Amino acid sequence: MRKRFLAVAFCALATQAAAEDAADKAKIEDGATTYENYCATCHGMELRNNTGVAFDLRRLHADEHPRFVNSVLHGKQAMPAWDGTLTTDQVEELWAYVRANANDAKK
Amino acid sequence: MRPLIAALLLGFALPATAMAQSVADLRNDAKTPGDVLTYGMGYNQQRFSPLKQINRKTVKHLVPAWSYSMASNYGEESQALVKDGVIYITSHDKTVAVDALTGKEIWKTTIEYPPETTKTVCCGIVNRGAALYEGRLYRTTLDTHVIALDMKTGKEVWNVKSSDTADGAAMTGAPIVANGVLVNGIAGAEFGVRGFLEGHDLETGKQLWRLYTVPGEGEKGSETWPNGGAKASGGSTWTTGSYDPDLDLVFWGIGNPAPWNPLDRKGDDLYTNSIIAFRPKTGEMVWHYQMSPNDPFDHDGVNALVQADLKIGGKVQKVVMQAGRNGFFYVLDRATGKLLAANNYVKVTWANGIDLKTGRPNWTIDMKSVIESASKISTWPSISGGTNWFPMSYSPLTGLAYVNTLDMGMEYQPLPIEQVQNLKTGQPHYGVKITNIYPESGNRGILKAIDPLSGKAKWQVPFKSANWAGTMATAGGLVFTGALTGEFMAFDSETGKMLWQFQTPSGIIGQPITWERNGKQYVTVTSGTGGVYVLKIPDANLAHVPPGGSLWTFKLMED
Repeated sequence: MRKRFLAVAFCALATQAAAEDAADKAKIEDGATTYENYCATCHGMELRNNTGVAFDLRRLHADEHPRFVNSVLHGKQAMPAWDGTLTTDQVEELWAYVRANANDAKK
Repeated sequence: MRPLIAALLLGFALPATAMAQSVADLRNDAKTPGDVLTYGMGYNQQRFSPLKQINRKTVKHLVPAWSYSMASNYGEESQALVKDGVIYITSHDKTVAVDALTGKEIWKTTIEYPPETTKTVCCGIVNRGAALYEGRLYRTTLDTHVIALDMKTGKEVWNVKSSDTADGAAMTGAPIVANGVLVNGIAGAEFGVRGFLEGHDLETGKQLWRLYTVPGEGEKGSETWPNGGAKASGGSTWTTGSYDPDLDLVFWGIGNPAPWNPLDRKGDDLYTNSIIAFRPKTGEMVWHYQMSPNDPFDHDGVNALVQADLKIGGKVQKVVMQAGRNGFFYVLDRATGKLLAANNYVKVTWANGIDLKTGRPNWTIDMKSVIESASKISTWPSISGGTNWFPMSYSPLTGLAYVNTLDMGMEYQPLPIEQVQNLKTGQPHYGVKITNIYPESGNRGILKAIDPLSGKAKWQVPFKSANWAGTMATAGGLVFTGALTGEFMAFDSETGKMLWQFQTPSGIIGQPITWERNGKQYVTVTSGTGGVYVLKIPDANLAHVPPGGSLWTFKLMED
């Protein structure tokens, strides 16, 4: 009985973990689309820009989420404020995409 | 006696040199190399100069005369103009007059636009040039103002606003003066703008007419869109047309339909991806020729429209020609719009040629599978096209067009139709999944000397990073252009042999010109990387090219 219970519990956990992975993946993919539509013009496709004029977003660290959100919503230097154009969800998706491709996230 | 002679001389000399130019001066611009008054170095936009002091033999002595800082890290795509020893140059945030011989600034007039303007600028924060006429300089701004400045002082004479940038409109192109009217276009198909051309009164800036490039509901051409054209959008006009004063026709390239995704706009989608001819006084369209009906690939019809007299079948014909974004080199009778030749000048996989009788492309199976079943395909050329906005030149001496061509393809698939059905003006209008395919050769661009009638290259020179600059041909047997890695270069127009190069401080995405003063020939070009390729497309070859705009003038070294 116990063994069976454990097996069921394990399966449930695994399914939950897989679902979370899938949700993260979807979030990153949505972020990639938003990035291509709104950000790539200056920041470059795949977060790479050749001139260095726009900030290299891959340099952002995990603890810089507030800085990121603030800059996106209110603008920074030449970047316009995106508040009112991008939704809160879209900004979070962008963050997921940026973090998934950050320099310090690379294995 | 002496003062009298001086006064007489002055009196006679002034009208010839310092007076504001006339219609005749504009007509003769290509033949009068003392000045460069028009975008394209002549109404025909051949970018060909009869000057030959700098030639195949002497070009090795070409050295910088001066350089001037544009004080900007954005791209410098503008073509300089020259009048009475003064060079006029534009950028996204300023217009400048510089002494042509010394490089000293005479005046600078800055442009301030709201920061949110750039939210709907798809492809680089740039400006491509101005028009000069009767003492005034005319230009457009990113936030769609059309303005006139006094050429002597830089002071604003008038300033009119054309469109709402919140709807996605922007202006980056040079206007032209044709038959007493200032004609300019608009950018913004990537944000669902309904494209147009407009004419402004030179004296006051008052809008005289507006010619929409896609129809309103029920209007002519709306039968080529679903639902009677209710949602027709796109058809930007973001480059600069050429003018034939004898026919009194302006030729202008019309951009891509919106969105890029074609699933919700079945039909030809007129007048997107077309060349149109219209009357500058009224904006009345006289003829049109569509290159890419129902285009899914952003194959904008906006590339340079160069006029020439070509011998076809033993008969000299007045043609207008374009190295199209879609990969075909088009030659049209410019009086009627009749197609005379259309051959591919780069790798093309979306069409098996163009039917000369109907003018329509013969779609490949791949192309049909995109339109009919939203298939994923690999296709050439990429959205960047066989070439792009940076203008080609044409030498009547060699009969060749000099084109910085692109060698890139793409994996392409339209997203499901639901994703593009409810787009609002001002939102991004893409709806496609694209991954670029780069050539195995490692060379993404090739400078080609193309025979307009066959599309075949007489010679070609490959470049790792695609050149994103205009070309210029001269009677000295030279072709000038610039590289994204900063080299300003001269090639033998017959063989393609590189005869000279100079390293400028940044990448070149500008448009070279040449002119003469006091019997000496000069060459002028901007350096300053940017533009859509550099900003968007990762390219390791550009890792060590710093930004920074500057204007350069070269002359032959003196003994």
